[in-house]
Amino acid sequence: MHEMPFTQALIELALDKAEGKKILKIHLRVGWLSSIVPESVQVFFDHLSRDTLAEGAALDFEFVPISLACQACGRVLDLPYQPSRNPRQALAQAFRDGCPCGAGKLSLAGGLGFDVAGVEIEDSV
Amino acid sequence: MIISVEKAVTAQNDLIAARLRERLGDEKVFCLNLIAAPGAGKTSLIEKTIAGLGGRFGILVVEGDPRTSLDGDRVTAAGARAFQINTLGGCHLDARMVQVELDRADLGAVDLLIIENIGNLLCPAAWDLGEDVRVVVSSLPEGADKPLKYPETFSLAQVLVINKIDLGPFLPVKAADIRAAALRVNPGLEVFEVSCLTGAGLDQWLTWLGDRVGQKMAELGPKDPLPRSGPSRDPLG
Repeated sequence: MHEMPFTQALIELALDKAEGKKILKIHLRVGWLSSIVPESVQVFFDHLSRDTLAEGAALDFEFVPISLACQACGRVLDLPYQPSRNPRQALAQAFRDGCPCGAGKLSLAGGLGFDVAGVEIEDSV
Repeated sequence: MIISVEKAVTAQNDLIAARLRERLGDEKVFCLNLIAAPGAGKTSLIEKTIAGLGGRFGILVVEGDPRTSLDGDRVTAAGARAFQINTLGGCHLDARMVQVELDRADLGAVDLLIIENIGNLLCPAAWDLGEDVRVVVSSLPEGADKPLKYPETFSLAQVLVINKIDLGPFLPVKAADIRAAALRVNPGLEVFEVSCLTGAGLDQWLTWLGDRVGQKMAELGPKDPLPRSGPSRDPLG
């Protein structure tokens, strides 16, 4: 259920940007730590896009790394997306490991958003 | 042909929320968005807030629940005005729902607007309601792992209220554990430890909130709307 309102919103945003053209592909950017499950978005998309110009469009998901900032040295560490790994475990592990500087605690600095990066539309003939 | 969009999926909601924020700024109404798991004590905190600040400020509460007006009735009984939203299963409030309620409200006599979101630690996080401050209420029996399990919710909030600290003697978890876990996810959090049952710690909460409401009322001129949309809705990025 969680993804339904997000999916509705992304369809409306894409249709608005497409300005009456048929949509072929929607490029999405998902924070690895966001609670968005692409498979679930796809299920809702198939239903909610029916009879719109987005029907049949491909969804392309790009995962954004989790980033952590060190409160002592200011360094920003990225935890790149790993499909087989649970992001919450990755985050917990990174918190336990701490910053390589050895001094500072890490805090969460990025990796949660859900954006529409772009929309691919049919070329006008 | 590819059209660059670079917008949060929630951009339309952010736009409505920005308009709400602007209106609340013009009307000098301080607005809280309360987010918590079901049973953490959001409504109890609202009741205690009405009891503590209702004499000084006009308080309006927008109650969100999947069903029933039970919470709205509690707010009314506590002495404040309440609008009850029933989402009929919907798992969070969005800015449009709040806008509908505020469109039928006269905010002239309101200084503090409290929005109680649907009991849910996950879904409400992404939906801006135009609030000044987002408050997460987490109660002691929920344990200290929630900030890590629901990082969006804790990282987007400015305040954490740890409720039910009176249960401390009976539970292995300590309020300090919850505080530490939450600060890991969001070092900027302001944390209050309270018991809505015994009243412990509520003075600090009421003092903080009273100050913030007073500051907003004293602001001059229309407030600038906060730019919330834009490409990276990632609040941390």
